[in-house]
Amino acid sequence: MKPTCILILFLIGWQTDTYQEQRNSMVASQLENRNIRDESTLQAMRKVPRHRFVPKEQQRYAYEDRPLPIGYGQTISQPYMVAFMTEVIKPQKDFKVLEIGTGSGYQAAVLAEIVDKVYTVEIVPELANQAEKRFEGLGYSNVKTIEADGYFGWEEFAPFDAIVVTAAAEFIPPPLISQLKEGGKMVIPVGSPFLVQTLMLVEKKKGKTTTKSLFPVRFVPFTRGN
Amino acid sequence: MQILSIVQWYHFAYMVISIALLGFGVAGTVISLFRRALLKNFDHLLPSLMMATGFFMATVVSFSQPSGVRFDSYLLFVDYSQAGRLLFTYLVLLLPFLSAALAIGMTFVRYADRIGKLYFANLLGSGLGGLLAVGLSWIIAPQKLPVFIALLPMIAALWVLPRPFPINWLAAFVLNLGLIVIFIIRPFSFNLSQFKDLSKTLNLPGVEIIHEQSSPFGYIQVVSSPLLRHAPGLSLTYPQTVPVRKVIFKNGDWYGTVAPLFPPGDTTVYDYTTRVLPYIIKARKKALVLNSGSGEDISLARSKATARIVAVEPNSAVISLLKDELSKETMGLLAAPELVMHQEDPRTFLLKDTEKYDLISIPTIGAFGGSVGLNAISEQYLLTKDAFREMWKKLLPEGVISVNCWMDYPVRNPLKILATMIEVLTESGVEHPEQYIGAVRSWGTLTMIVKKTPILQQEANLIRSFCDRMLFDPVLLPDIKRHEREQYNMLQDNDFFQYVDELFSDQRETLYKNYDFNIKPPTDDQPYFSQFIRGKSLSHLSQLFGNNAMAFFEVGYLMVIITLIQVTLVSLLLIIAPLFHLGWHGGKRRSVLLYFGGIGIGFMFVEIVLIQRFILYLGSPIYAVAVLMCALMIFSGLGSYFTSRLELKQIRVFTIFLAIIGLLLVYSFSLTPILQQTIGLTGFLKILIMTLIIAPLAFLMGLPFPLEIKRLDQENPRLVPWAWAINGCASVISAALATVIAVEMGFKWVTILAAVAYGLPLITTITAKK
Repeated sequence: MKPTCILILFLIGWQTDTYQEQRNSMVASQLENRNIRDESTLQAMRKVPRHRFVPKEQQRYAYEDRPLPIGYGQTISQPYMVAFMTEVIKPQKDFKVLEIGTGSGYQAAVLAEIVDKVYTVEIVPELANQAEKRFEGLGYSNVKTIEADGYFGWEEFAPFDAIVVTAAAEFIPPPLISQLKEGGKMVIPVGSPFLVQTLMLVEKKKGKTTTKSLFPVRFVPFTRGN
Repeated sequence: MQILSIVQWYHFAYMVISIALLGFGVAGTVISLFRRALLKNFDHLLPSLMMATGFFMATVVSFSQPSGVRFDSYLLFVDYSQAGRLLFTYLVLLLPFLSAALAIGMTFVRYADRIGKLYFANLLGSGLGGLLAVGLSWIIAPQKLPVFIALLPMIAALWVLPRPFPINWLAAFVLNLGLIVIFIIRPFSFNLSQFKDLSKTLNLPGVEIIHEQSSPFGYIQVVSSPLLRHAPGLSLTYPQTVPVRKVIFKNGDWYGTVAPLFPPGDTTVYDYTTRVLPYIIKARKKALVLNSGSGEDISLARSKATARIVAVEPNSAVISLLKDELSKETMGLLAAPELVMHQEDPRTFLLKDTEKYDLISIPTIGAFGGSVGLNAISEQYLLTKDAFREMWKKLLPEGVISVNCWMDYPVRNPLKILATMIEVLTESGVEHPEQYIGAVRSWGTLTMIVKKTPILQQEANLIRSFCDRMLFDPVLLPDIKRHEREQYNMLQDNDFFQYVDELFSDQRETLYKNYDFNIKPPTDDQPYFSQFIRGKSLSHLSQLFGNNAMAFFEVGYLMVIITLIQVTLVSLLLIIAPLFHLGWHGGKRRSVLLYFGGIGIGFMFVEIVLIQRFILYLGSPIYAVAVLMCALMIFSGLGSYFTSRLELKQIRVFTIFLAIIGLLLVYSFSLTPILQQTIGLTGFLKILIMTLIIAPLAFLMGLPFPLEIKRLDQENPRLVPWAWAINGCASVISAALATVIAVEMGFKWVTILAAVAYGLPLITTITAKK
């Protein structure tokens, strides 16, 4: 092997280690410190290479405690938000989860580390395509992506054990409620789409649907289409 | 100001323009320091400065827009590099003010013996300019408006060019004019802040702006997209597809969705929201919809077959938009025989109207721009105790006032509106307000009804049954049980219910005092409903929510305080700097400072107080401001002109100040009853009355400045530009200061302090006589 190749391999290896270190540090300081306790969630957050889900120019900030722009007016959520939304639905191995608002695909990848099947809906065609390629490239074969209006959910694969909505809405879309399994959980930021929203947990129990306000958040507006 | 309101927010525009207005102070200081050199080159400098003013007016906003230098007020709390961008914006926007002020100031200094006439011309131009800007804003888009107005200083430049026109001057003039014409043909495009409602909406795929309309009420844009659905706080039981709606934006902020007409009796999306509450307990025969906006409450009332609907909306641009361009989308919502539409300020309407209603509704509070701080320093006369007292009086025995608001966190809007209602009821002699107020809560919204008579058991049961069907929770009913309040929608904590109960108890004042936000009911004297921020709570809120969140609270008031600090510091520098050149002692410097500072502050305070009084009287803030400013400036100008005909010896200046202070005191007692007695007259008569009220005061207020400038010119001409700098700085400081005083203590105190400000020159003149 030529010295240049050795050097490149060394640099790749060094870089990989660096990112892994950053992930470990992110989990320790941003998640465990803030009471994220679900081991499967923490494990997934340690594993998914967040830097691969952000534009090149943002990679150095990938593990910082903040959302980052991914283009098309959208953002990748702050790591804590992704972990919280994952933990709050209490994901199990055999779960079928619907995600609305694929964006970069990071949230779907984290879910895919834990559950059997993830169905993710994105309305911005470019984002949907990029995310699909990313899932392929990273080997997330259990994620299915569609370019569609998240308002309608994904009827074909319903009902879902959990639904994670990562874009803000001023109402909880009725189709999503009907696609939620009995006993299922949905986490969704709701409220006036341009202001501070409330992260809401919607639960279906014994035929009764209830909501619980979790905390105020700001998300990108919920993009909808026909 | 409007352009800055569009690309950013009103409070930011306020801040930048306040600083830019200091151009007048800077000009005074520059002239003080370089008086001789400037006057020596007066003939060349004057046309140059006029042309520069035209150039800067046409171009500065575009200079501040490139992404590398553009400032975003929402990032100020997280990205400290924004401070540099803010400074750049200040400096760029200062340029047109500075060049114009240098031209005016040099003219004042050069022809100080004719100051009466010059100041008259200056004030007359300011007054007519205000009217012209309002008129032009109907036909010219905001980004073109300053470019068109830039033609005025160009005409002035042509007027003062050396004669016969030297070729190089003519070339410069033509070049400048050509540039302005290019900007008229190809105006710059807006770069909205990424946090503006419109920016976020335009990110949605398939979105299109289908209509744009300039108006003095704001720049209206209608956005269409198959992606925009609207159903705030919709019940989880809604079985159909949420309808797609077109959305109206005003100055880039969400104004409302275009509401369609639903056939009476149809089940609509409204039936699955909390705002239908007043119709749950009783069918309504006469509804009054205040600030009807894009028509949501009219649409709801018509869907409920309300026999008579009176709607009041001050924004004539939106009314005509809904009636004409969007009539297809509204399906003739505003064309029904049962609907009477009034284009007027709702408070003015309430004062004039003699009918009674069984439903009075106001727009949703805390939604779509209402709580981002946009309104924190806006006077919201519809949400004061005085407004609700008037609504209460207009209710029929079974009538209700209906108020809808978003549940915010930390909770503040629902608490403040509830506190306001409770105080109105208590002050109206209601012993048990809890018997008269009902409220239900969805997962995100809360609707409150205040009934003229106690809520009956049967009505409470209807509300409970509605809540069960919709998965809503009752919050307030005469016999409410604690467990009922969180059956379907759990809150983060139980604090909200505890605060609600405290508001009904004798703990109310303690809650006002201790709560992190200002939830004390607003009054007409302090009409700032959305002013929630309290200085003492800032560090606590920052600890709880982090610095990043601060920008999303109502920061408008903070911006005013920051502005006040900045303008005061810069003003002090501008006032002190010339003293290094002029010397620190002698020449009655202290008297000059007090005299010109006093009249600068007094004039601005009076102007602001009168604007507030006449907004309600005329029923349209935009026109009230335009007409009032015009009248104030013209009569002040006439006062100034009058001084040019007087010999200084003839005048006892202190009597002028005594007369001003006396008139202010008379107005503080008599203005309200006069305005209340005549509010029902026609617009023309009201303008006439307003002019008669303003004329004597304005005339008197126009006298002191030219009189003292004339005296200074004779005694110590070097101090004339310094006096002008002091006057300019005082005016700018007082604009921000008046807002702070009004928020903290009320407009009553602004009036009192205006009298005190005019007392300063009174003291100096009396002292000088001795």
